[in-house]
Amino acid sequence: MLRPHYLDGSGQVCYVVVNPGGAYLGADLFLLDVEVRAGADLLLTTQSATKVYRTPGSFAEQRMAVRLGEGARLELMPDQLIAYREASYRQHSAFTVRPSSALVMAEVVTPGWSPDGAAFGYEEVRLRNEVRVLADDGGLELLLLDNLLIQPPARDVTGLGFMEGFSHLGSLVVVDARVDQALADELHLRTAGFDALAGVSLTRTVAGTTGLVLRALSDSTGELNRLLAACTNLLRARWHGQEPLNLRKH
Amino acid sequence: MTYQLALQQLTDSALPTGAFAHSLGFESYVDAGLVADEASFGAWLGAFISQSLTYSDGLAIRFLYEGWNVAELDSLLSASLLPRQVREASAKMGGRLLEIGGEIFPSAELALYRDLVGGGRAVGHQPLAFAVVARSLDVPLAEALAAYLFATVTSLTQNAVRAIPLGQNAGQRLLREAADGVAAAVERVKHLTPDDFGAVSPGLEIFQMRHERQRARMFMS
Repeated sequence: MLRPHYLDGSGQVCYVVVNPGGAYLGADLFLLDVEVRAGADLLLTTQSATKVYRTPGSFAEQRMAVRLGEGARLELMPDQLIAYREASYRQHSAFTVRPSSALVMAEVVTPGWSPDGAAFGYEEVRLRNEVRVLADDGGLELLLLDNLLIQPPARDVTGLGFMEGFSHLGSLVVVDARVDQALADELHLRTAGFDALAGVSLTRTVAGTTGLVLRALSDSTGELNRLLAACTNLLRARWHGQEPLNLRKH
Repeated sequence: MTYQLALQQLTDSALPTGAFAHSLGFESYVDAGLVADEASFGAWLGAFISQSLTYSDGLAIRFLYEGWNVAELDSLLSASLLPRQVREASAKMGGRLLEIGGEIFPSAELALYRDLVGGGRAVGHQPLAFAVVARSLDVPLAEALAAYLFATVTSLTQNAVRAIPLGQNAGQRLLREAADGVAAAVERVKHLTPDDFGAVSPGLEIFQMRHERQRARMFMS
């Protein structure tokens, strides 16, 4: 973790997670525990792409537990995931939010990297996001389960019904009491200006808060990052009066 | 073999659950020009069987048979069916199945699930409504899975024959081919774990989501 800093005058504090050693190897397990207390505002990002190298006979894993308090906000904007040839990676993120919390997270998964230039040379990538809502009456209910499993050796993942001929996947999850169908439709319209195939839909509503999931397929990390930024910057401006995010790290 | 005729009635495409009104996403592929004939619909159907019907519906049925709490499974399905129209389609057809099941194959387990739905503590998803009835009739899991998956495949194929359109014989060839996919899915479902639940491919989900904003459409999903 790097020293916390402020990118603007909004009061949102920014923490940067640094991968020790720069990459994940077989049997590596990273545990992250994040608590954003009532009214606090956190931007969490990474220093560079998450790289997963060969993990023979095992898998690298990141497990993150996040709790958002009353009125707390988390903007989770990690760099892209790159799984190298013969890599297996599992990422499990469990969020517990209050009905008044605000959660935004954006992720990009690349086709990985192989010395011969072939895509999808990795063994397995699993990304699982669970969001539970802790209601005012103490009840805990699952709002959304976003489960991504890509196993290139098990089946052709490139074509119709899977990656639709694209190489990169982008994903945006928003959970906020202000999420509604009009916002989902507006974000979908925003995606039309990018070289990507995208879809947006609402989750169910639990204890007065609703989620929104956007998925996009494209052929480049840059295009997906621009598409996701167009959406997250719209939310920053509208809900928080903030300028577009500029991490200035590349 | 006492359950044979009951299972046939439950999975007959004439069972009025409203399956004729749902494409579960293939209509968006048709709109995009990606599904236009027998071969391309067959490719979509194969993906749908190996993804949605395996990781979502099929696994939900297996877990119910293994004794998981029906309310917990209902909540898991509501949370993991990310495209809104698909989630609503599951609840709509599930609701009809619960109603019909209550009249023709009543059981204590079915009454419990109907009470949960009536009290707003569950939504009433189609695979769970089916599994509760099938289990109460002592249908073995593998048979119940194969019957449910093939019934869904049959409805979708009939809808494709009307919508694309395809010839009646093409529809039958597609079903024969899909039967192999269903058999493979039944086998695959046995070996999945709770971590796999709801892992549907991004492509299928994106087209299911895009259906919400499609201008001209014959189907509700």
